[in-house]
Amino acid sequence: MAFRISDMLNCRSMVIFVLAATSFIVFSGTPSLARTVTDQLGRNVTVPDEPRRIVSLAPNITEIIFALGQEHLLIGATRFSDYPPEAEKLPKVGSYVHLDLEKIVALKPDLCIAIKDGNPIVVAKRLESLKIPVYAVDPKNLETIMQTVLEIGGLINAEKRADLLVQNMDLRIQKVKSLVSNVTHRPRVFFQIGVSPIVSVGTHTFIHGLIVLAGGTNLAEGPISYPRFSREQVLALSPEVIIITSMARAAIFEQVKAEWNKWPDLPAVRNQRIFLEDSNFFDRPTPRLVDGLELLVRLIHPELFKEAE
Amino acid sequence: MNTDKPLLIKRLWVVSFSLMLVLLAAMFLGLSLGSSQSGIKAVFQNLLGIGPHDPMLDTIIWKIRFPRVLLATLVGGTLSLGGLVFQALLKNPLAEPYILGISGGSAIGAIIGILIGLVRFPGVSLTAFSGSIGTLLLILVMSSGQTILKKDALLLSGVMVNAFCGAIIMFLVSLTQDARLHNIIFWLMGDLSMVDMPQVGILAAMLVPCFFLLFWFSNSMNLLLMGKEMAQTMGVNVKAVTVILLVATSFMVSATVSYCGLVGFVGLVVPHLLRLLFGPDHRVLVPACVFGGGAYLVFCDVLARTLPDQGEMPAGVITAMIGAPLFIYLLKRTRR
Repeated sequence: MAFRISDMLNCRSMVIFVLAATSFIVFSGTPSLARTVTDQLGRNVTVPDEPRRIVSLAPNITEIIFALGQEHLLIGATRFSDYPPEAEKLPKVGSYVHLDLEKIVALKPDLCIAIKDGNPIVVAKRLESLKIPVYAVDPKNLETIMQTVLEIGGLINAEKRADLLVQNMDLRIQKVKSLVSNVTHRPRVFFQIGVSPIVSVGTHTFIHGLIVLAGGTNLAEGPISYPRFSREQVLALSPEVIIITSMARAAIFEQVKAEWNKWPDLPAVRNQRIFLEDSNFFDRPTPRLVDGLELLVRLIHPELFKEAE
Repeated sequence: MNTDKPLLIKRLWVVSFSLMLVLLAAMFLGLSLGSSQSGIKAVFQNLLGIGPHDPMLDTIIWKIRFPRVLLATLVGGTLSLGGLVFQALLKNPLAEPYILGISGGSAIGAIIGILIGLVRFPGVSLTAFSGSIGTLLLILVMSSGQTILKKDALLLSGVMVNAFCGAIIMFLVSLTQDARLHNIIFWLMGDLSMVDMPQVGILAAMLVPCFFLLFWFSNSMNLLLMGKEMAQTMGVNVKAVTVILLVATSFMVSATVSYCGLVGFVGLVVPHLLRLLFGPDHRVLVPACVFGGGAYLVFCDVLARTLPDQGEMPAGVITAMIGAPLFIYLLKRTRR
């Protein structure tokens, strides 16, 4: 008996030893602390295995890193990185269209995450020439935003959190889809992102995708991303819902609303369906875009929620 | 003429040397100050190679600030020379590439180049050059004949050409929908922040030979100021010299515009200041403009980098804020 027990003990220690040895081999087998990944622009970027000093070059990237719970890795962000509120405390490296190269370099980042639409390519190139890796993302719609969340999660060792986040986003999107699947009427939506001049959103924007998903018709759809409109053109389109997401705040909104209210024949005016919403829900490619989607459904199809209640 | 030559060479050396010192001081300031607040002492130690070595500071000083300081030197020198040449050729103390619309014409060319997706060199530089030549011809035609002597006619035509260029620029900008728009707007305001060493090298290769060319013709400029007939009798081929100088200047100005946009009024402020200090001899003024203009723009760029507490503003904003009031002052004074 005794012999057997000691044998078993030996066996166990043997296993532990083997495990330890293999893990040693496995870990020492990957001695490099960097790996090469392909970013969303198809560029090969050598990034550190465990980045510890990240500078986010756009507000939405800051937001995604916060959403992944890895904000302790952030050492710098751009101006207007205001969500969540703690993001405002980060050192600022200029605005995302006009980056302060010197500030970025002084922060000694081991990884910068950039966005294709907005960050000037020259800055990315110069950062790389200074041996600072720049991983660029290019989110275009909800799918690519989810992809971006997963990729950033993979970059900063938050795969699990990223998976959960994306599952949650997906679930909520499916819910919206099934909610609007039975609507017969798709209201004409005029989505106004600029006050003067009046600017709306074309087909190649995430807002267009959200409007369609939320069961509306985007009156400004077309090849131009941010088309300008005259008041006359908008009146001719006779929108049933007007959603204004100006960066300008309440006082301006009342003014804009008063402008539209001068035309009582407008369906949106008749039915009092002019809304002001926080532009950050709609123009930032982040997980919060799903909040924007849910908000849009409520604005475009309020009847769906009355029935449910 | 020969008797005052040693004196001239001595004056040339004294003026150049003292302005070079000013330029070096401005450059040191330009290397020391920036958004990351590294401290002048640390920079001084780094430059002398003493004290603790900090690779990050190395990068900031030599790869970020140094190209920028060199660019400001080149552009400042060029624009000052541009002002000097135009003032001599058009016999008008208020002439300057920016005020005359030469810069605006280059900007139109450059924006068209950017919008059709050309690379900065040689593509955008070439379209900028054609734009500047176009406006130059326009100005010369408009103010040709008798009216060239009338200051107001030239200035007014310049102002109109400038307004016209501004309208076309706005038209092109309003056509632009994408992310390049912000870059174009910053660049239009005279932004020195986005160049690296190879680009500065290309620009220097274009500009420095022109500096020497203008220096070669500096005495002709002196004679031209005495009047065309006088210059002719002194052996100056007036037509050829005028064409060479105008084309060279337009080329230089368009090269700077294609790299850092519209930096205005440098060609007004610097030559006036230098003429006040060193007299009207162009043989002294040409090198003085290179060094003094360089120092002036480096200094303005330092202000642009350090005045705002968040981010930085384009250097063109500072030069215009200093230059425009001076222009009004000079205009009032010449009217009297």
